Amino acid sequence: PPPATTGQAPGPPDGGWGWAVVFGAFISIGFAYAFPKGLAIFFKEIQDFFGTSYSEIAWVSSIMLATTYGAGPISSILVNRYGSRPVVIFGGLLCGIGMVSAAFCTSILQLYICVGFITGFGLALNLQPSVIIIGKYFLKRRPIANGLAMAGSPVMLCTLAPLNQFLFDNFGWRGSFLILGAILLNCCVAGALFRPIGPSTVSVKTQMTEEGKSALKEEVTEDAMEMSSSTNVPMESKTEEEGGKDCCEKINQYLDFSLFKHRGFLIYLIGNVLMFLGFFAPIVFLAPYAKHIGIDEYSAAFLLSILAIVDMIARPTTGIIANSKWVRPRIQYFFSFSIAFNGTCHLLCPLASGYTGLVVYSVFFGLAFGMVCAMLFETLMDLVGAARFTSAVGLVTIAECCTILLGPPIGGTLIDTFGDYKYMFIKCGAVMVLAGTFLFIMNYYNYRMLAKEKERNVKWDPKEDPVRTENDGKNNRNRETARDGPELEPLREEREGLKKEVNGT
Amino acid sequence: LLGVPGTSVEKNITLDRRTRIELSCRLDNKYSHLKSLQVTWKRGNETVRHINKTETSWSIQLRILDNSKLGSYSCTLKGEEEISAIFNLQVPKIEGKEKPIVSYEGDTAVMICKSFGYTPIAWAWYMTNGSEQIAINDTLLANKYVINRISANVTHMKILKLTKEDNGVYWCEAAFELGKSKGKLKLKVLSLMVPLKPFLAIVAEVVILVTIIFLYEMYSKKKEKSA
Repeated sequence: PPPATTGQAPGPPDGGWGWAVVFGAFISIGFAYAFPKGLAIFFKEIQDFFGTSYSEIAWVSSIMLATTYGAGPISSILVNRYGSRPVVIFGGLLCGIGMVSAAFCTSILQLYICVGFITGFGLALNLQPSVIIIGKYFLKRRPIANGLAMAGSPVMLCTLAPLNQFLFDNFGWRGSFLILGAILLNCCVAGALFRPIGPSTVSVKTQMTEEGKSALKEEVTEDAMEMSSSTNVPMESKTEEEGGKDCCEKINQYLDFSLFKHRGFLIYLIGNVLMFLGFFAPIVFLAPYAKHIGIDEYSAAFLLSILAIVDMIARPTTGIIANSKWVRPRIQYFFSFSIAFNGTCHLLCPLASGYTGLVVYSVFFGLAFGMVCAMLFETLMDLVGAARFTSAVGLVTIAECCTILLGPPIGGTLIDTFGDYKYMFIKCGAVMVLAGTFLFIMNYYNYRMLAKEKERNVKWDPKEDPVRTENDGKNNRNRETARDGPELEPLREEREGLKKEVNGT
Repeated sequence: LLGVPGTSVEKNITLDRRTRIELSCRLDNKYSHLKSLQVTWKRGNETVRHINKTETSWSIQLRILDNSKLGSYSCTLKGEEEISAIFNLQVPKIEGKEKPIVSYEGDTAVMICKSFGYTPIAWAWYMTNGSEQIAINDTLLANKYVINRISANVTHMKILKLTKEDNGVYWCEAAFELGKSKGKLKLKVLSLMVPLKPFLAIVAEVVILVTIIFLYEMYSKKKEKSA
């Protein structure tokens, strides 16, 4: 009988339970991104209570953000070892414990630890696995799934902001932290939805692993260790079910540092690290800028609401556009375009005069922001492939961690030195246009190299054509596998080596 | 102050120390055709004499030395129609907090009052007991109340070891040369049970949802195996 009636075998299901997973990721990602921002409402009161300065309170947010991004590699390692579900459930529990203990804090230092580190780490264990599991459940419809899941961030922010205000008015900051701890436990519910996918039944499994291996052969990698770690992914479940072999040795293979030799990965890394220097600062300073040019507090807050609403709509829409057959093969260009578009918005912002100008800017900014965020992980998945995405996302987030933290303070210094917001906008706009252009040019080069390699690949290994043409749904994957294959020539021997290995088992 | 016939214009002026001030009412040019205008300056029922007159404006000079000189001064121009303008001379306002400060039994509450722009001579805190206002003496009850003047314009009161009786309205009073000004703050003291109920409700919801999801998964796996 043909394998995988469940649709799990040749490729990801692209639907069915996948949509429940998208919903879980929506919640998880929403909390991870929106929660640190939503906490700002409590800061004034906490500042008064502990008698500290504003910058000391702001550290709580910074530590939380730094931990969420910095703990990325740890998250990746854990997912590689245990799968997404246990990690997310554990992360949800950590968040809950962190916030509940924060409710009983008696000093600002304890707040740094409970809210900053513990909750931040819990959120990190939520963010990465959610993104990873989408890559496992979707292929053809992955951009839509990514767009929908990332839409969790603005939706959660719009929900959390008034909710936090309500909690604060009724329960004070301690009671609010207690209740927020309980709310964060809902991440465990999201985690429960992350049903592990992969070979689950014994009969299908052996056929699956055969096909998995042959499919992975096409997924060209840099070196043999790389290859064996990818084949370990379908084999891993076998070992788990058989009772586990030497786990410790394999942990070293779980964070794939050889990605640094991957051309696509490097391009993505450099472009994104550059982009994040100018990504978040405009949002942080939008409301202060509005107040600076004379707009009242509520209208200034409303600008952020407009941004969030446009963002909410933009993300799934971008997902749908990115999934269309015209854009999907050239998704990297679309991504670079949206970054450059974002940068242009910032460059034009100082020209906006008055409230209407700022509203227009907020709309375009929301649109651009949503576009970039929706495709942030999709493009990485596209470049490195689902198997190595786990490690890739961990390495990318820790690299981005530095620039994300640096962005707003640099913007703040510019504002303080020149006394004018426009230099901050110009700096952010310039950095992003630069990042967008860099990505555009480098990806053009990358696409050409991949096309050349694909030609060589086709000529070189005709035996694998039947496997390729077998499944229509695999076409995208093939294009993708060809994409994550740089330097094909020197790997020929390793591929030979692998073939022997596969045939031997 | 520029006025339009038939209407009344009002202006608030904040004074925190002894000063001389000149208030003047001026009639807009387009109304200068109005003849036989009689101008009176009043404070309440008292009329102020010594009006300095020019062609289009009438002004008075005041020496504000104490609280009794503050209040509402009005200039009334009586002709065919009556125009009046009111100047409110007052001490700086202190803002309290509109929303109550929520705290818990056994915890500490921190109340802060700020004066914007004007520096008070002294601050005092009062608690409302029924209809009376009782001064809070922090030297007498040093383990319950701690009052600090953080900066010239900011005062800070900490209430330690809160109990239900500490619920209520508090006043912070700033004393200026020309008088006193109060700000209102409300304190709400809750027991720990209050947030605990929603907390337990949400935790229960999470546990129920997780159980349902896992049960559904086991059910669908069984269905798959039997199918």
